[in-house]
Amino acid sequence: MNSEKVIFAFFIVLALTLNFGFFIGGMDNVEHHNIYELYAALVISLISTVLKVGDRTHLGAVFLATSLVADLQLIAAAIVWGMTEHVVGEALGGHSLATVVSLSGGALLANIISVVLLVSETIAVRR
Amino acid sequence: MPNLIYILFRRLRSPLVLLILVYAISIIGFVLIPGVDDQGKPWQMSFFHAFYFVSFMGTTIGFGEIPYAFTDAQRYWTLITMYASVISWLYGIGVLLSVFQDPAFRQQMKTNSFNRRINNIRESFYIICGYGDTGSQLAHSLSDEGILSVIIDPDEQRINDLEVDDFRMPPVSLCADGSQSEILEMAGIKHPWCKGIITLANDDTANLTVAIVAQLLNKELRLIARAETPEAESNILSFGANEVINPFETFASRFALALKSPSLYSIYEWTTGKSGQTMKEPPKPNPGMWIISGFGRFGRSLYDHLEQDDVPLRVIVSDRKQKGIPSGSVIGAPTEATTLKKAGIEDAAGIIAGTDNDANNLSILMTSNELNPELFRVARQNADKNSHLFQSANLDMLMQRGSVISNTIFALIRTPMLGDFLRIVSRFKNDKANELVSRIIGAVQDDVPKLWELCVNKEDTPALFKVIKDQRVLVDDILRVEEWLNTSRSNEHIAALPLFLKRGKGNVLLPENNRIIREGDRFLMCGTHDAHESMLRVTKNINLLESVLLGERVASGWLWRKFTDKKRKVKCVDSDGYEETLIEKEIKK
Repeated sequence: MNSEKVIFAFFIVLALTLNFGFFIGGMDNVEHHNIYELYAALVISLISTVLKVGDRTHLGAVFLATSLVADLQLIAAAIVWGMTEHVVGEALGGHSLATVVSLSGGALLANIISVVLLVSETIAVRR
Repeated sequence: MPNLIYILFRRLRSPLVLLILVYAISIIGFVLIPGVDDQGKPWQMSFFHAFYFVSFMGTTIGFGEIPYAFTDAQRYWTLITMYASVISWLYGIGVLLSVFQDPAFRQQMKTNSFNRRINNIRESFYIICGYGDTGSQLAHSLSDEGILSVIIDPDEQRINDLEVDDFRMPPVSLCADGSQSEILEMAGIKHPWCKGIITLANDDTANLTVAIVAQLLNKELRLIARAETPEAESNILSFGANEVINPFETFASRFALALKSPSLYSIYEWTTGKSGQTMKEPPKPNPGMWIISGFGRFGRSLYDHLEQDDVPLRVIVSDRKQKGIPSGSVIGAPTEATTLKKAGIEDAAGIIAGTDNDANNLSILMTSNELNPELFRVARQNADKNSHLFQSANLDMLMQRGSVISNTIFALIRTPMLGDFLRIVSRFKNDKANELVSRIIGAVQDDVPKLWELCVNKEDTPALFKVIKDQRVLVDDILRVEEWLNTSRSNEHIAALPLFLKRGKGNVLLPENNRIIREGDRFLMCGTHDAHESMLRVTKNINLLESVLLGERVASGWLWRKFTDKKRKVKCVDSDGYEETLIEKEIKK
């Protein structure tokens, strides 16, 4: 067992689960989407990106790309949320909520790809 | 380039993770800790405000407690996170700086920038392996001539010296071992603009390795190598080197030439010497016995060459046990007067101080000068830094190992045909060599002679290339340019002499003035600087060339040409007739 691999897999899977947790729920119901969950998803996604940088293999490059996509989507979601509440000065809901949730949905897709890659890599090792 | 980013991020991984964690924990703390607004009502910081506050706190910008004054609980948290964030920033920056200081990283950075510069080269260049005394002199000569060089040397100190040195055309340099194939490949051995590779290492095996690698990677490349022993010389030559220069052999054969055929000696000296020097009278030592002190590689090759020409010789050796000492040699320290007297210095014609120690060589010559002031004194100079010492010693002849190699190589680079020319000339008898020297001196008179090549092709001489397709042009025609450039001058020809012509596989020495110029011809010309300039102009400028050929000024504009066309046709018939007779003459020859 390699502790580096454990940490790596932990962050990748955690990024997916947190992202999924935030995404699940009605598109129009603020109650279903917890801001802390979005925050946690963003932080974990950033950490997993840093862990992936510096891997020179082809698989490592794809890992990095999917992670960057997830980061971008989650940061965009956070910005939309912050803009709505602080700059526009409205409570989140309707169109802005739908935007936030759908952006996190995009990030979810990227995270799923990441996990699929992780699993396929593990299977290829056959140990 | 991607290498660098990978190395950087791998080293920065833990500081970056730490920074993200510290920020995340600080932000979540501020969001969770209850605060009060300006009216004393409970208020909770949003992520937006928390991120804003942590950002300016962590970077020590510190705008204050925004948006409302903090409660004591918030201040406690600020106290903790303040130090945590500053420490993690310092840690991150520290790691970043240490990565940039890392020798491996810096070497990688230098290699990358070297690679980029090589890839961006869009002019002819030469690769030089080895930047010692010789390499440095050669690099300076090349840069003065405006030729780019790429320099590789495994010694970091030398590369640092190079970067500090003043160059008109700064060379591209890398601190690496040139005998490795990937280094040579990186230096552009397969680069389309690479004209040749010159290997100048002190070590013969290193030169041999470079020669082999260069030959394997790029067969077409011009390869010039230095060798210290005859065995290495023939070995490198067998690997397809175009020229191998053995400094001791070169000097010894020159010296023998100076005694045997002074004219040939001056041709060699002048063509491969420093550029910009006038043709000197060859030295004239008295006939008699020569004393060679020091019997290393230098002394040995001198002995071999002089013995072949039946020059009476005596060798002074300090070490009795040395192998292959010729009979009749004097054993003893050559710096002492008694040893020199024993060798017969009073009746000798000259002395050659050829030990590998500069101080000893100077001492030998000083002592022998006291014993016999009439002596012809020759010295071997080992280190470049002793130049001024040897210069002030006022010697008759000086062998500087570095300059012998670098000047010869430089001449071969500037005028590649020189090698073939000298090989043919070296077989000349004395009177033929004398004639050649007097013709060169006659052509350039008192001016400084210069050597250059004239290649008849589309790139170098576009005008000439175009004209010879339609009409016959003689060597004489391009030499006649002077009267058109400067009408006030009375002499008809420019001060230049074609020394050598290469046409296909044939070689013509001193081509006649009425020879017809053909496409692909390569001339080795010698003449004054002005002559070179005017020849460049006439072979590149079609108007000028046509004026010279027709014997009158030709209009340069299209309209004016139409007007003068009729006149020209009449003239053309005349000149054709003139040339026809010349061709017949040539055929008869």
